[in-house]
Amino acid sequence: MAFLEINNVSKTFGKTTAVKDFNLKVEKGELVSFLGPSGCGKTTTLRMVAGFEVPSSGEIIIDGKDVTYEPPNRRPVGMVFQSYALFPNMNVAANIGFGLKIAKRSREEINQRVNEMLELIHMPGYGNRYPHQLSGGQQQRVALARALAMHPEVLLLDEPLSALDAKIRVSLRGEIRSIQRELGITTVYVTHDQEEALSISDRVVVMNNAQIEQIGPPFEIYNFPQTEFVAQFVGTLNAVNAEVVDPKAKILKFEGQQLQTAFSLDKLHSGDKVMIAIRPERLSFASQEKKANILKGKVQNITFLGAVVRIQIGIDSLNFYMDTFNNPYLALPKIGEDVEITCSAEAVLALKERKESQG
Amino acid sequence: MVMDAKPDSHRTTGGAPSARPPKSRINWSWLGVVPFFAFAIMFLILPSLSIFVRSFEGPEGQFTLDNIFAIFHGRDFINAYRTSLTISLITAVSGGIFGFLLAYSVILGGLPSVARSFLLTFSGVASNFAGVPLAFAFVATIGNAGLVTRIIENILNVDIHARGFTIYSIWGLSIVYMYFQFPLMVLIMAPALDGLRREWREACENLGGTELHYWRYVALPILMPTLLGTMILLFGNAFGAYATAYAFSGSFINLITIVIGAQIQGDVLYNPGLGNALALGMIVIMSLSMVGYLTLQRRAARWLR
Amino acid sequence: MKKVNIFAWFIFILGIFYFFLPLFATLEFSLRMKKGVYSFEAFRVAFEDPKFYQNFGYSFLWAVLTIIFSLLLVVPTAYWVHWKLQKIRPLVEFITLMPFVTPAVVLVFGLIRLYGKPPLNLTPTPIPLIAGYIILSFPYMYRSVDSGLRAIDIRTLTEAALSMGAGWGTIISQVIFPNIRVAILSGVFLTFAIVMGEFTFASLLSWPAFGPYMEEIGSMRAYTPQALSLVSFGLTWFSMMIMQSLGRGAKGEEQIAVAH
Repeated sequence: MAFLEINNVSKTFGKTTAVKDFNLKVEKGELVSFLGPSGCGKTTTLRMVAGFEVPSSGEIIIDGKDVTYEPPNRRPVGMVFQSYALFPNMNVAANIGFGLKIAKRSREEINQRVNEMLELIHMPGYGNRYPHQLSGGQQQRVALARALAMHPEVLLLDEPLSALDAKIRVSLRGEIRSIQRELGITTVYVTHDQEEALSISDRVVVMNNAQIEQIGPPFEIYNFPQTEFVAQFVGTLNAVNAEVVDPKAKILKFEGQQLQTAFSLDKLHSGDKVMIAIRPERLSFASQEKKANILKGKVQNITFLGAVVRIQIGIDSLNFYMDTFNNPYLALPKIGEDVEITCSAEAVLALKERKESQG
Repeated sequence: MVMDAKPDSHRTTGGAPSARPPKSRINWSWLGVVPFFAFAIMFLILPSLSIFVRSFEGPEGQFTLDNIFAIFHGRDFINAYRTSLTISLITAVSGGIFGFLLAYSVILGGLPSVARSFLLTFSGVASNFAGVPLAFAFVATIGNAGLVTRIIENILNVDIHARGFTIYSIWGLSIVYMYFQFPLMVLIMAPALDGLRREWREACENLGGTELHYWRYVALPILMPTLLGTMILLFGNAFGAYATAYAFSGSFINLITIVIGAQIQGDVLYNPGLGNALALGMIVIMSLSMVGYLTLQRRAARWLR
Repeated sequence: MKKVNIFAWFIFILGIFYFFLPLFATLEFSLRMKKGVYSFEAFRVAFEDPKFYQNFGYSFLWAVLTIIFSLLLVVPTAYWVHWKLQKIRPLVEFITLMPFVTPAVVLVFGLIRLYGKPPLNLTPTPIPLIAGYIILSFPYMYRSVDSGLRAIDIRTLTEAALSMGAGWGTIISQVIFPNIRVAILSGVFLTFAIVMGEFTFASLLSWPAFGPYMEEIGSMRAYTPQALSLVSFGLTWFSMMIMQSLGRGAKGEEQIAVAH
């Protein structure tokens, strides 16, 4: 049995549905992130796990115990907020020890635990500082320590890094991940940043419009997006509405050009429409060796992104992005030049509309 | 020593003109605020300063501390200060507590939002409704022939005035002052209560705290500087009030403002220096409370940043 | 949660009761001038007195003069401080808060002692009165204008206007003023409300005004003072309502006033 179970949970506020039929099982020690645009229901789901919202239907089970209607202060859950939410009137040590103090632990025990936590977040000696004397990143680390001090069974992080600037965001997410691994704590991490979700998680839950779009490891989410939304939201993508030409030979066409795919078209007939997608990095210029699956187009724009050069290619009315690794001696085409690009049949992904029910 | 002195003497004597910038860089932008400062000096600073100086002047203009001592020797003066301080303290504390509870009830008590905007509008009006008309309103309410007095007499058959209550007492005046005191508290506390972040409450709950824990360890400590600071403001507000008390036919209550007012209208103390010293006493007390207010305010601002 | 609600309602109703009881009592009292029946006799008497209009007019005049000169002093200063002299802002703020420290009675006392005799005898003129009112208006006026200026990043706006070749007249009238008009107006109406009911300065400097007139009526008549009291309350309410409707977008902070 899974450690944290969210079964058929829905939440409505008046007439709006914030979360619909949410099902998820999180294993002990796993880090699962909820990824989606703002208003997709990811934070509401997290708040239901924390107990700040009560589900309209469904149940939430932690370690075999139904906590759906437990008040937040009786759940074995630690939470980290986007805005840190440190108590401004207490110093770092008092903030970290707050839960233990409420639980009436002895002063020695509190001190010991606070020091342990300060070690854990690499901030020993900061115990006497006040939140307003700390940087945002430090404040969030203290908030993490405060949430972990009570030995919670589940750790919840609600967009913990969105208020920080880019550099700190990257280093702190590494730190969060390593602390999470070290403690082996079951964690749910809410974010709207796909890079963050992909880099930190064991599994990603992509949400949109109150529903789950796809659940899977980052690798799978990125490489095999199952819905158009996931494909569009995670990474950059060329999505095209194509027409089936020959279901047996797996040949599609769009804008008068044919494309070979690897996925099965058995259930479709000639003339059916199908949504396909190709990642920019799977495209390359056609060459002597790569003569199959060719698309003809015209270079519209070239953008230098550092490690990657992104080339925008117009195929009739459609715009395709093609990424190629930067190298100083790269021979790039000129804008306006006619080019031929290609990709392997496996790189052409089929996208579905939202799946009707989730397993 | 000699070594040390050398560069010093150089600096003072040997400033070669060529070493200086050709034009002295005087910042002329301060000219823009001259009218304001001239006005403030003439009508605010100088009058206050003259009170200060003349408090230490004898009849012939010589320096003396007699005026200051006279305050402590005159029983009436001490009493006037005491009465003023008592009323200010009573109305600051009770007005503060009631105003806080009222602000709490409309901001966090789950009352409909109409109640909130209504209370805030009314508080804006009531905190400015003071002086003579306020006195009349309360004469009509709890004066000898006031509505409440009559109702109590008719229903309970108790004549509160015969039982020693009078509007011209410390408690009577306190009730009147409360009318502009607690609305002021509401106006200042409402934004402060709004400033309590939802996440603090949730973080507290998440860590196992109850509503009581939240108020005891988080909300009240955070609000405390604002709470105390505003009470100090209320204190000063009541302490400086003159018109309301004067409108109750003047000298029934011996407030320090009334004493000073009488001294202005005719030198009833036969000693101008003493009047100055009494006024100085007020300034000192008000300044102290203002320092307290600003200190607490700064702390509140730091926390709530 | 339910329990909290009941408590909140209780406090709220208590507060409303305390607000309205004196008003209701005043109204009831003012209607009792004729024996045995409720009538508006007290209001009739009050409005019949030519001195009512005279004193009211004087107060109005003082209010207008105060507002004009207060604006002339405060607006350019606040603007200048924001634009050029950020460093002295705490000092200016401190001065504008001084009236909280110096009670009206004490300030009048100082003004009379200083300007009540030669070499600079100002007491025969209304200068000390208006000056006192201006000082009194400082906290409200300055705070309103200051928060208005703070909301619009005056520096950038001025520099942008200057870079586009605007003159100072244009800058003030086309750029700055429209942006802080609401802030200025809320300061204006607050000052108006305060000066209209002011008693201490007018009485001690012996100038006719609505406040001392009310006090005089109070010592002479019954019932009419309560009618006047309601008029005064209505006036305050009116000013505050205008201010509130003006300042919907602005901060509520500006309404905070200290009564005397």
